[in-house]
Amino acid sequence: MTDRHLLAMHHSEVQVSVELETPDVTLSLGPQHPSTHGVLRLVAKVDGEVINSVDPVIGYMHRGYEKLAEVRTYPQITALVNRIDWVSGFANEVPFMVALERLMGLEVPMRAQYIRLVLTEMARISSHLVFLSSYPLELGAATPLMHALRERERVLDLIEGVTGGRFHPNFNRIGGVKPAAGAGSNQKKVRQDLPEGFLDQSRDAMRNVLAVCDDMIDLVVGNEIFLERTKGVGVIPADRALEFGVSGPNLRGSGVRFDIRKTDDYLPYSRFDFDVPTGANGDCFDRYMVRFEEIRQAARIVIQACDTMPGGELQAKVPRVIKVPRGEVYVRAENPKGEMGYYVVSEGGRGPYRLKIRSASFSNISILPWLLQGQLVPDIIAILGSLDFVLGDVDR
Amino acid sequence: MTASPPETGAAAVASRFAAMVGADSSSAEFGTAKIRVPAARWVEVHRTLREHLPFFSWLSAIDWTSDVAVGDPPEGTVEERFEVLSRLSDVTTGAGITISCDISKADPRIASLTGVFGGANWHEREAAEMFGIVFEGHPHLVKLYLPDGFLGHPLRKTFPLLSRDVKPWPGTVDVEDMPSSMNAEAGDQPEAGDAPEAGE
Repeated sequence: MTDRHLLAMHHSEVQVSVELETPDVTLSLGPQHPSTHGVLRLVAKVDGEVINSVDPVIGYMHRGYEKLAEVRTYPQITALVNRIDWVSGFANEVPFMVALERLMGLEVPMRAQYIRLVLTEMARISSHLVFLSSYPLELGAATPLMHALRERERVLDLIEGVTGGRFHPNFNRIGGVKPAAGAGSNQKKVRQDLPEGFLDQSRDAMRNVLAVCDDMIDLVVGNEIFLERTKGVGVIPADRALEFGVSGPNLRGSGVRFDIRKTDDYLPYSRFDFDVPTGANGDCFDRYMVRFEEIRQAARIVIQACDTMPGGELQAKVPRVIKVPRGEVYVRAENPKGEMGYYVVSEGGRGPYRLKIRSASFSNISILPWLLQGQLVPDIIAILGSLDFVLGDVDR
Repeated sequence: MTASPPETGAAAVASRFAAMVGADSSSAEFGTAKIRVPAARWVEVHRTLREHLPFFSWLSAIDWTSDVAVGDPPEGTVEERFEVLSRLSDVTTGAGITISCDISKADPRIASLTGVFGGANWHEREAAEMFGIVFEGHPHLVKLYLPDGFLGHPLRKTFPLLSRDVKPWPGTVDVEDMPSSMNAEAGDQPEAGDAPEAGE
């Protein structure tokens, strides 16, 4: 009889005077289950309310991108990498492009870098808004979803206005961003830039995002049920998070102030003023609040970038047929879910010899067997949801 | 924490950690610090580095061969081998390093890192099913993504992409040739709206 057992009995209404026999039961959660964010199956061995062990079963979404990349040309792979973490499709493209640009020695025009940065932060906002509103839903609060999705749709409209795609922008080009619209060899290409009024609309949208964050803070964090279900639940100590490769807001929730935007220079983040929020306890609540603050910081960055958006070209001069010189490079980025990286091995051809995709959600949920052990069954959903993963980002 | 150009930082990082663990060689091309170590010292090197680079980013492998069923073969002749790679980084400076070692294809086995980094568990399971590498000492080396009973190791270069044999992709309207048919002249290719056209 563990403390957890006693706690569970203590909370139940029925007074149990004899010790119940609760032999190991296998509980299979998923693969189709609304709370698992896709096709994730958890095979849990439970003893009463207490989880003895959990074996996550993944791979239902495995599309074999690393193999597919080996038979595609570099520009064709952009369309693939969009679909890894589809809640923030744009952010997936950037580190891949930066990796190729580093191998090719290309200098990306500053305007293109700013556009990448703005759209990356908008992807972060839309991804975090989905999390911040769907997580309370999993814990029983439906209202925040309505608030957040309305603002998220406005942000997606802005992304769509620039790129043409809500979820899969496919907007980055090697050396910059897509500069031309209109198809056909006989037509004169129309040079495309940011849509008219984009900068003003973005600033407005960011103000709305900041306002909805304030609304939601009251709705969610003022809710005692939410606090009871998240505070002190699913604690990840910092050293555990690091050894499992847990990254992004989940790592910062455990108090580790590590943000790739501050340490690497894949985009010109050093020109912007923003904070890196961290939690103190590493519980579900801290992971939630870190993302709250990150939305605010992302909105700050977007407003600054809109105010200082430089002019100029949208793409560096690149050959018509892209060949990437021989070499190996690893470029990582601070994506909404955490560290997203591409290890590109080029042998001088038009496609990679090997492309290793490091996706954040894969490592983030690899800690589940350790994290869920000894927890109570009702906390599975609270803990699972707090890690904010997307199955496309787990399975690749 | 200020951003510094990766090229300057990477060289210093590579030489510092190469000296620390007594690596065979180190490089910092394209801002990517990398050290090579013998397979026999794989676990010991990671244990040493863990104190300085506590963040376990990923582990994977590369199949080096000239006998490829997909894509282009490497330039020139390569030594047939699996290269096992892992990536660690520091969380205060952001310094990161790739650790690499070669293992033979005839008997692809290497000691598991699961005793050093818990996160190696899934990465090793993935590398095991994709390349057929045995990670000795791994507690649960079963398939991760692939269904039970799946035959072959898909990320080996000799493993064909069967869908490509059945139906060429993406068909006749393709903008560019596939990597394996690179003899076409650039100017002969049909043009499409999405192709990068920065030269114009």
